[in-house]
Amino acid sequence: MAAAAAAAAICGEDETAARVGCTGEWAGGIERVDLGERKEAVAAAGAGKRSVYLMDCAPVWGCASTRGRSAEMEDASAAVPRFADVPVRLLASRRDLDALGLDADALRLPAHLFGVFDGHGGAEVANYCRERIHVVLSEELKRLGKNLGEMGEVDMKEHWDDVFTKCFQRVDDEVSGRVTRVVNGGGEVRSEPVTAENVGSTAVVALVCSSHVVVANCGDSRIVLCRGKEPVALSIDHKPDRKDERARIEAQGGKVIQWNGYRVSGILAMSRSIGDRYLKPFVIPKPEVMVVPRAKDDDCLILASDGLWDVVSNEEACKVARRQILLWHKNNGAASPLSDEGEGSTDPAAQAAADYLMRLALKKGSEDNITVIVVDLKPRKKLKNIS
Amino acid sequence: MVEVGGGAAEAAAGRRWRLADERCDLRAAETEYVRRFHRHEPRDHQCSSAVAKHIKAPVHLVWSLVRRFDQPQLFKPFVSRCEMKGNIEIGSVREVNVKSGLPATRSTERLELLDDNEHILSVRFVGGDHRLKNYSSILTVHPEVIDGRPGTLVIESFVVDVPEGNTKDETCYFVEALLKCNLKSLAEVSERLVVKDQTEPLDR
Repeated sequence: MAAAAAAAAICGEDETAARVGCTGEWAGGIERVDLGERKEAVAAAGAGKRSVYLMDCAPVWGCASTRGRSAEMEDASAAVPRFADVPVRLLASRRDLDALGLDADALRLPAHLFGVFDGHGGAEVANYCRERIHVVLSEELKRLGKNLGEMGEVDMKEHWDDVFTKCFQRVDDEVSGRVTRVVNGGGEVRSEPVTAENVGSTAVVALVCSSHVVVANCGDSRIVLCRGKEPVALSIDHKPDRKDERARIEAQGGKVIQWNGYRVSGILAMSRSIGDRYLKPFVIPKPEVMVVPRAKDDDCLILASDGLWDVVSNEEACKVARRQILLWHKNNGAASPLSDEGEGSTDPAAQAAADYLMRLALKKGSEDNITVIVVDLKPRKKLKNIS
Repeated sequence: MVEVGGGAAEAAAGRRWRLADERCDLRAAETEYVRRFHRHEPRDHQCSSAVAKHIKAPVHLVWSLVRRFDQPQLFKPFVSRCEMKGNIEIGSVREVNVKSGLPATRSTERLELLDDNEHILSVRFVGGDHRLKNYSSILTVHPEVIDGRPGTLVIESFVVDVPEGNTKDETCYFVEALLKCNLKSLAEVSERLVVKDQTEPLDR
């Protein structure tokens, strides 16, 4: 019911949204690269209200990243527009879909993936996650999509947990060499570790489609939704002194020791990560997943490494990001039409917000690498050229 | 926690030691090596322990790696950079930078003993931000036979102050975890070199 209500709330705003098709992926790092994307415009099917499950959803994001005061850059990030189609039954019940007159078994929603990966001990695992998480997730979604037809009602949250858990475990297994991985564009198959056993990475990932945001988090990077001007934490940091995490670690014979902060074995300051096989089975790659219906008053998503969150609160980040996006549109809305260059590149307003947050963290004395992705969730009508 | 020392070693004969790759009592040979080479004199506020690793590589190869006091990054995965001036000799001091993710960024370390005949390396930490005050370690390598081939038993023992706010058990657990990781990496590097040696052309 909440999903349907959210659908109804969003429908009214998006009647005139244009459907734009675009392919390509972009991975962020120290430098932003504008890809020349071929845009395929498809005219809107027709006037009238349409279900949120039939709406398209343009990816509108910015990404800023810096080594900061660290000697090394070990952060990575990914922004992959339209990386997969999501079976709609993972997003709404059959009953609700039937009531809307939609084919529950056939309908797929295009989805975008955004991820931040904060490496430690080296950049290799974070870089590997940037390249592989979305590919493996897409494969898992396809596999699940084939099986959904045989099921009656679907426990959506359970399936999302399963999809992301399998995805993260698969990537972790590839990193450790437990399963084969493809390298050099498919030309080779290897079953050795990606890197040394003390290298690891956080992974906070958001799958964004027209009806929902689905989040998976492993480690101490973080994702915050700015909704109605207020921050909503969509992830909970995996710190070793979190009561449930400490209990899990100690139940397996591990120790959490305070050594310049609480650490697994006194060494690692997070309780979950991709990689770090020397600390298994205490440090696990299992993500915590949240499935969040989108709402009319959603402003933006902020995904970032702890280089931001250690010095900027959720509240301040939301306030700043929202204000920077509004400022950009206010300053640029009248003077020039929105760029219509397609979806393979960042949105200037969201980019301004990400840049501002990065600089703010530097100003506040962050000592770590900083990576910020801002995803604008507010539908904004494209201005037509005067002619 | 088992403490290494003249008297303590006798009393501890029946106690358990943690091996890097085997959770069982040290075998007779290992106990004997500890008695002979790994004598520490821990004081009340200190703790001491040892870890061991069996490596399928000959002792000369393993020793050639561990004796490189100027390049610990050859086999220590937590080291990002090391600077040492001059030749490797007793009294040399190296500045080690530590990789990210650990509760330290640097360590200043002095070479106390390097015996190429007996294969003994002793290092003392003289500075850094790791909270390991008065840390001193002894590493020895010993020839053995594994699966009918020349192998090496590596033993590393240490003594260190217990930092304020931590227990002896915690301190030993922390240091042991790091040493186990180092020895496991040493095994991997050494064994990879053995494989490489065996596959190189004979006429080279």
